[in-house]
Amino acid sequence: MGPLEGLAYGFAVALQPTNLFACFLGVLIGTIVGILPGIGPVGAMALLLPSTLSLQPATALIMLAGIYYGSMYGGSTTSILVNVPGEASSVVTALDGYQMTRRGRAGAALSVAAVGSFVAGSVGVLGIVLAVSWLADQALRFGPPEYFALALAGLLLLSRLSGGSVIHAFVMVAIGLALGTVGMEPISAVRRFTFGSTQLSQGVELVPVIMGLYGVAEVMLIAESGLRKANIVSVRLRELLPTREEWRRSSWPIARGSVVGFVTGLIPGPASVLATFISYTLERKVSKTPERFGKGAIEGVAGPEAANNGATAGAMVPLLSLGIPFSPATAILLGALVITGIQPGPLLISQRPEVFWGVVASMYLGNFILLVLNLPLVGLFVSVLRLPQHVLATLVLLLCLVGAYSLNNSQLDLWVLVGFGVFGYALRKLAIDPSPLVVALVLGPLMEKSLRQALFMERGNVLALLGRPITLALLLLGVAAIAAPPLIRWWRRSRPPHPALSSTGGEGN
Amino acid sequence: MIERLLAVGALAAVLVYLASAWALPLGTAARPGAGFYPLAVGVFGAVTVLAWLGLTLRRPGPGAPGAVIVKDARGRVLATAGLLMGFCLALPWTGYPVAALLFTALLLRGLGAGNIAALSIGLLSALASYYGFGTLLGVPLPRGVLLD
Repeated sequence: MGPLEGLAYGFAVALQPTNLFACFLGVLIGTIVGILPGIGPVGAMALLLPSTLSLQPATALIMLAGIYYGSMYGGSTTSILVNVPGEASSVVTALDGYQMTRRGRAGAALSVAAVGSFVAGSVGVLGIVLAVSWLADQALRFGPPEYFALALAGLLLLSRLSGGSVIHAFVMVAIGLALGTVGMEPISAVRRFTFGSTQLSQGVELVPVIMGLYGVAEVMLIAESGLRKANIVSVRLRELLPTREEWRRSSWPIARGSVVGFVTGLIPGPASVLATFISYTLERKVSKTPERFGKGAIEGVAGPEAANNGATAGAMVPLLSLGIPFSPATAILLGALVITGIQPGPLLISQRPEVFWGVVASMYLGNFILLVLNLPLVGLFVSVLRLPQHVLATLVLLLCLVGAYSLNNSQLDLWVLVGFGVFGYALRKLAIDPSPLVVALVLGPLMEKSLRQALFMERGNVLALLGRPITLALLLLGVAAIAAPPLIRWWRRSRPPHPALSSTGGEGN
Repeated sequence: MIERLLAVGALAAVLVYLASAWALPLGTAARPGAGFYPLAVGVFGAVTVLAWLGLTLRRPGPGAPGAVIVKDARGRVLATAGLLMGFCLALPWTGYPVAALLFTALLLRGLGAGNIAALSIGLLSALASYYGFGTLLGVPLPRGVLLD
């Protein structure tokens, strides 16, 4: 099936009433989750994962993906109107978006953000179609050594890009990998680290870990910070239309943001957040009037908003083509695929076309639904913020508890949830990003299987693995990601100062 | 201080992990056993945790900005964590509806809601979630020793 034929088939799947409703529900929940500072898309996806168990795989994935990209829309709404970014990826939008609100241009900022997101979503769908088809073909040549190297390189890149110190990220990776070894070992069925518990033989469930690290930890932060009331600005429908000048200023930032976002999304790590920062910096650099940035420049809204939606599309590429997630959100999508009995990977397109093409087409439909739904209903969505935070926090916790229990009807999952909730709270207090832990937990079993198969294939000769070009290139990429920044810093420090600069007192003086 | 404690805890955990991994069959390089990969993970974990501990010992003060919990907020944080644990302990005995009611009502009260609001929201959310998950989604939520 060619890309165009596949996309047409995907629309046929996505337009089925059940799938269309799942898409609508997903983007609606995503918008609300994005608006509310609290649970976040990862927590919400984890929370709703148990309720998708009875759905068809394509339907479940369409809904969960809808939450993922829908939250990007919602996050921008509160950033612009109340200067409260619902998501980390909306922080940059608040810089100029809220300034526009203060100048009475909230409607224009919201419209440009929505149109930018829609355009980026559409570009992203095109990118997925092209990139996934090509990458899946290449991935058919991958053997266990390549898969091991890819997962390892992904973890190393993630450790470098996740923010904060690399040592913290490595500790998170080690915890995730160690958790992934708990339970029945897949080859010889030896029980590992179960301490006699039958429930632990099944391994540590991903969902309670994610719910704890993201949902419970966030609610504990809300409990700590006390109750806040948002000062909500009302926006009338007729104020939503940007002026011709505003459209003109936004069009190129949207185009650049879409591409920057998609490409950034392919890289392991906090792609959406990174994409918004890159886009904002880029727009300020190319602008003839960079001094307007931070004071209500519409380019500062258009670019980053397109970029964060483009990044969500880009992040789907490694998942759909290789079956490897590089972010917590795509790890949940992988979990949903596995739970419904689907083996993600390069054969997904040929073996389960309805899932692959259905999800891709639903992303286009979902972006359209968001565009049509969000602008007229912006007032209604923002009014969600009027819900008292303590009530919201309590309900989120109750849903986390019952959601975690309902996965396996297991008391152990509840304790995992609570334990990781407290641990996640401590990590937040220490400004340590937990995402390397989640990704390592997902990739750990794949890495072990690939490594053991690779060693078996090469009869224990580790050096023979490095003789494979793709494996070597991936490993070098991972090592470079970790080693290059300190080496560059060292090289810069050891360089003799430029005579012209040293005579004036050095750079920056 | 929190970070240093976490790092010490992580070091203890990694030592237990390494000891348990060592007890598993290692196999050979050509035929790695069940303990081969965990041992590699354990060694990686030990090295990184030691580096982390070294980092926290060299750094004076509380570490990351905001790492200290504000005194007024400590009660709310501890109450939230305590109630979560209480829910897990109470669930098999009291059953889901009672445990959920107690959890939501007490947490709401702890976070500043009035008595009547806490009780009514607690009751509503406990019943709604029991109906949603227990009846609609068919999750066998515990009913407690009294109802069973």
